[in-house]
Amino acid sequence: MIHQRLRIVLWALVGLAALGGILIVLQRPSASTNEAAMATIGGPFTLTGTDGKPFASSRLNGKPAAIFFGFTNCPDVCPTTLARLVKLRKQLGQGDDALSIVFVTVDPERDGPAEVGSYAGLFNAPVIGLTGSTADIERVKKQFGVFSQKVDQPDGSYSVDHTASVFLMDRNGTFVATLSPEEVDAVALAKIRRLLA
Amino acid sequence: MIRFPAILALLLLASCGQQGSSEIRPSKAWARPTIGQAPGAVYLTIENKGGGDDRLTGAATDNAAMAMIHQNEVVNGVARMRMAGEINIPAHDRIEMRPGGTHIMLQGLRAPLKAGDDFDLVLRFRNSKDQTVNVTVLKPEGQ
Repeated sequence: MIHQRLRIVLWALVGLAALGGILIVLQRPSASTNEAAMATIGGPFTLTGTDGKPFASSRLNGKPAAIFFGFTNCPDVCPTTLARLVKLRKQLGQGDDALSIVFVTVDPERDGPAEVGSYAGLFNAPVIGLTGSTADIERVKKQFGVFSQKVDQPDGSYSVDHTASVFLMDRNGTFVATLSPEEVDAVALAKIRRLLA
Repeated sequence: MIRFPAILALLLLASCGQQGSSEIRPSKAWARPTIGQAPGAVYLTIENKGGGDDRLTGAATDNAAMAMIHQNEVVNGVARMRMAGEINIPAHDRIEMRPGGTHIMLQGLRAPLKAGDDFDLVLRFRNSKDQTVNVTVLKPEGQ
């Protein structure tokens, strides 16, 4: 009889412990979901530089970077965004070395190292152009939570819908903030200044 | 004797206003440089000084296979570029095409656009006659 009671009590304790464990596991993610989401943007990657050689993201370390995903057949948003970043960097007045501007194509089919290179060269200022295999690009898009989708054009070519935001990374390659096209320059400048501080 | 033609002219002008004809003035047309086969985008201002509404219905240039009126929009953080159809230019009003919004996309450029180049672009309207505007290729920084 005593044994049986003891067994029941012990099993009850096991049950309570299990329940407690489940509760802890259930509560933990809800408390830190935001931080987790922020921390998961970015991360190390290797793509292809405009010289056709591998480009490891560690080469960006040491100074902050503004990373933009676009494509070279993009006549409006992409050159507008890159020209804006070049302009903002000039307004900081700390030289081209203060901030890396990185252009990653989401259209690797059409944008090889040469295309990305001449596109990045359009802005009369240093812009790092990156491409890669379709698998490479898909992986990096996933790391940054970037969306892109081909849209057929009437002449048989295609355009690409894509995430318009710029990702601001600190000098250790950690994601800090995004710049959106709607944001006024003053806000954008303040965000970049904080990165340089 | 001199007054009579003047009054006639005024009456004529007044009747024009009543009929609501548009008076289109395109200006400040510019584009950024392009590379390879990539399309270009032309931005311009179109002023309607007349009393009647008008619509920009199309554009053409000898410099590109196709010129299309495009509208860019950012929806949920995603930039989408679509054909814009026709653009309203109300009476006594103006439209200003700016980067990141409406533009005339040039597909199949005969040669990449280089800073300092210029070329003619013909604009077609619902009510007014065709208008030709000269497009200047600016430095990539644009305006």
